[in-house]
Amino acid sequence: MQTLSRVFTATGLAAVVLLFGLTASPAALDVRGAVAGQQAPALRLPTADGTYLSLADQKGNVVLIDFWASWCAPCRHAFPAIDQLFVDFRSRGFRVIAVNLDEKRQDAVDFLVARPHGIDVVFDPRGDSARAFGLTGMPSSYLIGRDGTIRYAHAGYTDKVLDAYRLEIERLLSEPAGGEHTR
Amino acid sequence: MTRTGRMVLLTLAALAVAMWTAGCATVQPWERARLANPCMVFDYNGGQADFASHWQSAREGSSGGFGVQGGGCGCK
Amino acid sequence: MQVGEREPAPAPRNRWRPLAVAGVCVTATALVAAGSLRGENILNIQFHTFQDSRGVTVLEPIVDLDKDFTERSGLKVKFGVDAITGASDSCARCHPDGANSQRTFVNVDYRRKIGDYKLDVGGQISRENFYAADTAMVSISRDLNKGNTTIAGGYSFSLNQPQLHPTQSVENQYAHDLFFSVTQTLTKNTILQLAYDYNRISGYQSSPFLRTRVNDIMVVGNTPDLRSRQAVVVRLRQALPGDTYLQADYRRYFDTWSLASNTFSLGVEHYFKPSLLVGFTYRWYGQTGADFYQSSYTGNPIYYTGDFRLQPFNSATYTGHVVYTPAHRLLDLLPDKTAIDLQYDRYQASTQFASSMFTLGLRIPL
Repeated sequence: MQTLSRVFTATGLAAVVLLFGLTASPAALDVRGAVAGQQAPALRLPTADGTYLSLADQKGNVVLIDFWASWCAPCRHAFPAIDQLFVDFRSRGFRVIAVNLDEKRQDAVDFLVARPHGIDVVFDPRGDSARAFGLTGMPSSYLIGRDGTIRYAHAGYTDKVLDAYRLEIERLLSEPAGGEHTR
Repeated sequence: MTRTGRMVLLTLAALAVAMWTAGCATVQPWERARLANPCMVFDYNGGQADFASHWQSAREGSSGGFGVQGGGCGCK
Repeated sequence: MQVGEREPAPAPRNRWRPLAVAGVCVTATALVAAGSLRGENILNIQFHTFQDSRGVTVLEPIVDLDKDFTERSGLKVKFGVDAITGASDSCARCHPDGANSQRTFVNVDYRRKIGDYKLDVGGQISRENFYAADTAMVSISRDLNKGNTTIAGGYSFSLNQPQLHPTQSVENQYAHDLFFSVTQTLTKNTILQLAYDYNRISGYQSSPFLRTRVNDIMVVGNTPDLRSRQAVVVRLRQALPGDTYLQADYRRYFDTWSLASNTFSLGVEHYFKPSLLVGFTYRWYGQTGADFYQSSYTGNPIYYTGDFRLQPFNSATYTGHVVYTPAHRLLDLLPDKTAIDLQYDRYQASTQFASSMFTLGLRIPL
């Protein structure tokens, strides 16, 4: 009986170690998303009134692209904070494109009517843009420099991310349009 | 092989299959709207689950191993 | 149920009282702290009432506070009082005029994210008349494959100490528990969980409160000192069209006392409105008896028990519940998004035992 128990414990431990070990390389499973330094993928999506908004038209501005959905709790927390960033930096050439990924448009509309906002919201129920950017989690956001390259990428939203946004936006706004830079 | 030994093997096999299917799962982070619903989260109401397993263990001869919390929105 | 002898109600024992006070203090401190910290914080308050075919009525309040201290760490503190464990259950039987049969417990759980891993460390202290239980646990989990796979493993140790009422002597029971699980998203509408649990209990395992008949004499049972238990669980959650959700669970259990059981449960939940969720669950449970279980014994048996949980039987549980999340602030008292949860459980065993449970729960975001 004693030996039997030892066998079980050993089997159990071995199984746990095996499971964690087998999967110790998430890089092999995760497709890498859009990264800093790359040219941002093209983005052209409709707003609530049906007019199209395009990232290409924003050349010269610093743009924050925020991928969100109404069912995602951290996305909901980020939304008003990002709206505030827009208020604070808009006069210096900062824009926000909030890409909504709800499959049911009504879910997004219900969320938005309860929250007056100044940022541009576009709708991508099929998630084509999210696929183009290679999102690895929700929410995901990308800061695009004045030259149209991705300069910073974030997955998830916390207070630390908000602090990082401010520093990064400040840094990108202070760069001259089309200027050379390295990270 | 003992019954218990078979049981362990069976579980390991099942887990191996689960790990294998994990490779082909294609649910993208933005497609988890329904998975984020509390009804899809294992033991969303932990208090109720604890209470149930508590009175069950006071009445029934087997307890434990009811599974763990998990699932949900998968948000970062 | 046979009762060997009737004893006078025990003198009030205060073993659990300091714990109750500590529990209230911890909860109160946590509550105060909740005001000054941000993040996802949830306060759960539940009242359970339990009434069975013997007329035992129990009111069990449970309060738990789940709070994020930083973005990477959180704490859950839980405090509760009840009276339906094996010990107090039988205690209520032999002291029908009323004995203090409350169980008080405090549970603390600290979680932390370390890279891709989530670490959980916790413990529980539980006290009641003639029974003390202390548990320490640790578990680790990891999200993989864009959050589509979660693997988890954990270990816990419990020291349980029944007092051989009416004597003062205390016995020790040690329980080790090891589990691992895989939670896998199969489609955007389906999620599956597989779990395995190994549990090893050593030391005193008889119930000092349950007696059986050996050669026409009522005696406390004598059971083996070692019991290894294993369980495999498969759980499925399926989203159906029209805001309806299906929940199916199966559990297979067996142990070295030759007790084996099957548990099936099937639940359906539907949102009639975003603010109104109604659900129904059916659970079937069937077990074989322990190999040494008999309703009475003759001759010179090595093992004998009066524990009704070791006999073969099956049971059915019917559960209905309603969760209402009012759009407007409730009575101007509770914060927005407070959910009210009402649940009714009806349990019927083939042993003629039946019980009804009613739960009122409040889930309050802070």
